[in-house]
Amino acid sequence: MDKIYILLMAFISIVIVNNLVFTKFLGICPYLGVSGRIDMAFGMGMAVTFVVTLAGTLTWLIDHLVLMRYSLEVTRYICYILVIADAVQLVEMYLRRFFPPLYESFGIFLPLITTNCAILGLCLFINLWGIDNFAEAVVLSFGAGIGFTLAICIMAGIRENLKIADVPEPLRGAPITLITAGILTLAFMGFAGMIK
Amino acid sequence: MMLADIISLWNDSWPAGLTMLVLAVGFALVLLIASIKLKVEVDPKIEQTYMALPKIDCGACGFAGCSSYAKAVVANPDLIGKCAPGGAAASAKIAEILSLTASGSTVPAKPIVHCNAHKADKTFFAEYDGIPTCTSANALSNVQACKFGCMGFGDCVAVCKFDAIHIVDGLATVDYEKCTGCTACAKACPREIIEMVPFTNDTMMTVACRSAESGKNTKSFCKVGCIGCGLCTKQNEAFAVSNNLARLDYAKYQPGGAFDAAMKKCPTKIIVYRGKTEPRI
Repeated sequence: MDKIYILLMAFISIVIVNNLVFTKFLGICPYLGVSGRIDMAFGMGMAVTFVVTLAGTLTWLIDHLVLMRYSLEVTRYICYILVIADAVQLVEMYLRRFFPPLYESFGIFLPLITTNCAILGLCLFINLWGIDNFAEAVVLSFGAGIGFTLAICIMAGIRENLKIADVPEPLRGAPITLITAGILTLAFMGFAGMIK
Repeated sequence: MMLADIISLWNDSWPAGLTMLVLAVGFALVLLIASIKLKVEVDPKIEQTYMALPKIDCGACGFAGCSSYAKAVVANPDLIGKCAPGGAAASAKIAEILSLTASGSTVPAKPIVHCNAHKADKTFFAEYDGIPTCTSANALSNVQACKFGCMGFGDCVAVCKFDAIHIVDGLATVDYEKCTGCTACAKACPREIIEMVPFTNDTMMTVACRSAESGKNTKSFCKVGCIGCGLCTKQNEAFAVSNNLARLDYAKYQPGGAFDAAMKKCPTKIIVYRGKTEPRI
């Protein structure tokens, strides 16, 4: 029971309290780039969730089974990037084969998941927070993806409404998007410190 | 001393190198298996067709962009020749790729604005202060007296991707040097003043009016409207009057005498030249 409680808390923590986008400002490129339409934002969120779950789990395993055992921590960054690039390639092939419309609508953003700092960030955070429980690492990785999806979907919902709003001329486009992102972050700051 | 340094460096670094090598080979194998299992067959014709297109994604063909048109045209060769900017050259290339013979018109169609009323020529019943687009202004049909003329809010300018149409003194004016004939402006005009006309010559003659009002009304609404007098029809049989409006049959147009005579006879001077160079008579 205690274990489940810890996992649940970890999940809520990474989705809401320590959301990578809102509190760490990671993964801003797709967060602002693909949040024009809510269906595309959701697709992007799902792709990131898949990649980050795979990458987080694999990097934890490699970290604990190989790198830490043989004190090769210096190669951590390169290994992580290797894992992420591999996972992205896999997702790309899979989508192209089974969901061609989704693949086409992603365009350049799918390969860009490779350089999405939220993913490398999470892998490093798992290490930084000293997570030594495999289940917790998996839950944190999955939760990070869900948190990203949550953030990008909220953003897309707001931006869809912004399109028909009467925004002052100088603020149209990128400026109002950045202001929205800032206010959204302020709102999520309210959760800070609730867990961990 | 040097040798000892190198050996100790080697001893420190080889496990890292080996780990990286093992990981890299492992991932490469995974990707190799995936690329075989998840292979997508792409018809090479689609790629070739795409290369033959202008790749400007203007949407004149009715598809989202050049790549989706390429896919559609390979699947259904009937769609050949829909690419306006590519024109006959692109059609011929696609036909070659699909081993077909292209047929049909080689004359490029360009837009002609069927209105010649600049700001000073128009009459307004009221001042329009609403959303500055033609589509919304058109909903309040009694602001500008002429219900058929150019409103000059520039819906056509907004959709043009080639900077080839501008509002000059209240009238949409095509820059034929830049125009690719993508039909975007013709689709955007709520009053359908802009028509795609096959340009058999570099400059075409046209009746620059769409007014179907009676001659009396047209005259009171606009200084340069067609009143349907029919003087041009007496000069040349390529002109015809119906609904108080003269129309030129563009297929019969030849540059020269009989047409210039009709142009000179027109009492409201609405038979004009449109094209790259507009000769003045």
